[in-house]
Amino acid sequence: MAILEVSDLRVRYVTGGPDVLKGVSFHVDAEDFFAIIGPSGSGKSTLVRCINRLVEPYAGRVTLYGEDVTRMAARQLRRLRRNVGMIFQEFNLVNRMSVMDNVLSGRLGYVGNARSLFRLFPRADITRALELLDRVGLGDFVDTRADKLSGGQRQRVGIARALMQNPKLLLLDEPTSSLDPKISREVMALIKEIAGDFNVPVLCNIHDVQLATEFCNKIIGLQDGTKMFEGPTESLDRKALDEIYAMEVL
Amino acid sequence: MTPSAISATVDRIVSERLKAKAARAGTYLVLLGLVLWSIQVTIIADTDWHRLGSFASVMRAVGRFVGVDFVLVPQLVQPMLETFMMACLGTVLGCFISLPVAWLGALNVTPSKYIAYPMGRFLMTLSRSIHEIVWALIFVSAVGLGSLAGILALACRSVGFISKISAEAIENIDHKPVEAIRAVGGNNFQVMYYGILPQILAVVLGTIVFEWDINIRRSAIMGLVGAGGLGLTFHRQMVMYNYPGVTTVILAILVLILIGEVFSHFVRKAVI
Repeated sequence: MAILEVSDLRVRYVTGGPDVLKGVSFHVDAEDFFAIIGPSGSGKSTLVRCINRLVEPYAGRVTLYGEDVTRMAARQLRRLRRNVGMIFQEFNLVNRMSVMDNVLSGRLGYVGNARSLFRLFPRADITRALELLDRVGLGDFVDTRADKLSGGQRQRVGIARALMQNPKLLLLDEPTSSLDPKISREVMALIKEIAGDFNVPVLCNIHDVQLATEFCNKIIGLQDGTKMFEGPTESLDRKALDEIYAMEVL
Repeated sequence: MTPSAISATVDRIVSERLKAKAARAGTYLVLLGLVLWSIQVTIIADTDWHRLGSFASVMRAVGRFVGVDFVLVPQLVQPMLETFMMACLGTVLGCFISLPVAWLGALNVTPSKYIAYPMGRFLMTLSRSIHEIVWALIFVSAVGLGSLAGILALACRSVGFISKISAEAIENIDHKPVEAIRAVGGNNFQVMYYGILPQILAVVLGTIVFEWDINIRRSAIMGLVGAGGLGLTFHRQMVMYNYPGVTTVILAILVLILIGEVFSHFVRKAVI
């Protein structure tokens, strides 16, 4: 059953300018680890950001668990966003805060301004944060400042933060592009494992085709804002890749 | 090139350089003329040469300031404390006013680019254009003589610099943490507090300490127009023509500023 439906999504950054997404449609099911691949500038990042409306489409619709995301008002949107965990290419941590504070910031959608101001998160949240940090292998770095960590470690903090939200969907925006090949593989494996444990579907924008085919069960290929391929990973053959990337690939 | 072409080029170069030299010499002459004229109009014409007397008498006049009035020293403790506290409170109050002004005056967070932003920038400029003495005069006539006027005046004068630097720091932030806090469902306050504030805190605190240091000097001067503290003592010594007393007060101000320097050094170390 589809938990996320995207229909005819269109995005442009400047009114009257060229369309970055030209009517993309697809759906994601509950057990999917869904990949969006394509060359640079094809609109992958934009597409992922439309799901939680960090980017506003001007036409089309996104429906998540039956709710129309594209027409939501601000307060509803915040409530939606707290249920959608996002992991970023450049980690997007608050560098001067500790690892614990960064992970706890995943609960900001659930706490009020007063608690946010004094950083008084509920005890249950702190317990869960510690459990998640242990799970991602950062149990010893709880009080370390975020900017003192390596890239792989920072992404793990990002993973823990996203999971603190108890998300119903995980969005990944090129989570491994800033990491070396070995760490990339570890991070993807970790995400897949945890997503499986917590039964969270994943939508992933990735440019490394090998990683996509290794970890994801369904793939769509974008080229210049248009969907050029959609199907299970097994059906992604050489011919399809050439079409998406419009050149010889691997 | 042919010999005639070469000599033609040389002629051209030589004449161009002569023209440039002449232009430069002419400009210097005009500038010199302006300076001499300024000296004539402002110094020579306007100075009371009779009263000045000779070089020796000028030095004697300066010499009258040399010397310390030790009797005065114990009476300076309370005004020194008052000046110091005025500076502290004025800076703190200034911070509270600066934050919203900085928020208005930062292009990336201002609620409206065409109304709020120009207003923020206007307030910053207004604060900095009005000299602290003028601010002191305004508040002395508004709330009366004493430290309150001084504190309010210092606050108003401090807003300009603190909010300007803070606004620039806000404009220079990395947007990625802001995006992350929005993505977890944070509201505007949470985005500000978690996404923006940690990034600008070091710069803002450094600026506040800097401004506090300057405010110590300002607060001493403000007493001259009745805003309390050492300035008042200074004024009293002046009207009594007690020149060593004046020097003593100046030394007291110096001591305060030195204390401020030392404090600043350690606070900066702790904050940055």
